[in-house]
Amino acid sequence: MYVNNPDSNSDLTARVIPCLDVANGRVVKGTNFKQLVDMGDPVELAQMYEQQGADELIFLDIKASVDKQQSALDMVYQVATHLSIPFAVGGGIKTLDDVHRFFNAGADKVTLNTMAVEKPELINQISTQYGSQSIVVAIDVNIEADGELAIYTHGGSKKVATPYQQWVNEVVDRGAGEILLTAMHKDGTGSGFDTELLAAFGADFPVQVIASGGAKGPQDFLDAILAGADAVLAAGLFHRGEYTVREIKEFLINNNIKIRNI
Amino acid sequence: MNRQIPSRRSRVGIIDLNSGNLLSIKTAIEKAGCEWQVVQQPRPELLTAVDVLVMPGQGRFAFVMNQIDQLGWREFLLEWCRNGKRLVGICVGMQVLFEGSDEDPEAAGLGLFTGRCQKLPHPKTPMVGWAQLSSLSQCMLAVGSQSESEQDANQTKPSSEAGFLASPKRREARFNVYAYFVNSFAIYENPFCTAKVNYGHEFCAAVQRGNLYGFQFHPEKSGRFGQELIQYVCQ
Repeated sequence: MYVNNPDSNSDLTARVIPCLDVANGRVVKGTNFKQLVDMGDPVELAQMYEQQGADELIFLDIKASVDKQQSALDMVYQVATHLSIPFAVGGGIKTLDDVHRFFNAGADKVTLNTMAVEKPELINQISTQYGSQSIVVAIDVNIEADGELAIYTHGGSKKVATPYQQWVNEVVDRGAGEILLTAMHKDGTGSGFDTELLAAFGADFPVQVIASGGAKGPQDFLDAILAGADAVLAAGLFHRGEYTVREIKEFLINNNIKIRNI
Repeated sequence: MNRQIPSRRSRVGIIDLNSGNLLSIKTAIEKAGCEWQVVQQPRPELLTAVDVLVMPGQGRFAFVMNQIDQLGWREFLLEWCRNGKRLVGICVGMQVLFEGSDEDPEAAGLGLFTGRCQKLPHPKTPMVGWAQLSSLSQCMLAVGSQSESEQDANQTKPSSEAGFLASPKRREARFNVYAYFVNSFAIYENPFCTAKVNYGHEFCAAVQRGNLYGFQFHPEKSGRFGQELIQYVCQ
């Protein structure tokens, strides 16, 4: 869908999305919860990524439940008033009231992971009230020792009984606008996105799929988009300064992918 | 059509139809150097107190139309436009400038443009994301030529994408301009279309007739291009 082609019936571009992990109002390197390395101010980093050509940003507040959201809401407001591209926020959202607060603070989308599984009707409620474009459901999937796909919540620490494919279908039926698909078995490995999982969605799948987990370099982004991803997300590779968003996008443009070129 | 270079800050009224967060549009208008106020209901003094009305809209066509009728905006907006005053509709705020929408066939639009919104025939709807705008004969040229003459007067060079719109060299080409869309319905064709985009079907990304502007995309979320567009239509 995103390969340049005069017969294409879509001008939509594939999106490149940096993901920022946030704790106590600061961007952190999310290796694990015990050793949080401060990466900087969310607004400054967000503006830097916008200037590099990021199409969208996702902020995941990994400690939202600890500090009761106020720092997250302050951050969302600051980001919203300094950014002119869309952004999603996730982490610690438990109720529809939490969702209202994030949208009131200026978020364009919310991301649910654990609560989507524990309270799936929240997906319907958000979709009905704010439109499906405002809700991203994050699915953390892992290839188990027996080769089966399993989904996880609580930051990848708790396995869920619902089968993967059933959950994907349910999320769509309930009104999710996008699926943020993180391949846990690829996360941090630098072995590329899981293109097999992405290809399984197919061109007619009714919602957009954001590929996450495993990006090491520009070729991985290209492979994910060619496999069927609508957007590609990465964190470490951008935060460590290995590649700028612009460099990734230039590579994709040179490989004939429809990309917003700024 | 020739607009005077404003001698004072333009005053923008943001119409609040209870259909979504106004923070981004407020921020963008403020960045454009304009004064703004949020207006819930029409008042006669708005005709002199405000230079531009901006009508953002999110959600269903019928909901937004119902808000327009309940809050008393329909007659006011028609009168506003009859007087040639500037009105900018964004997203569903653009769609309601038309006669109706297949989303809610019973709801009557403002009818300032002819035509109805139709569903985009694409497996993934709503359309969410960035798309490159392409030109028709009039594609944003009205905007371009006006901003060009203003730029000439100001002796400044085009500084960015919106500036490119003004450059005669760019007119024949596909604009290197990308805008952020969130919509399931759209106006397929209209004689006043100023920019087109394809998503399952070609549709009007923007329309303009005189001082009446419609943007199907979200300029307030469309990066630097969107910011310059807001500056252009609000100043």
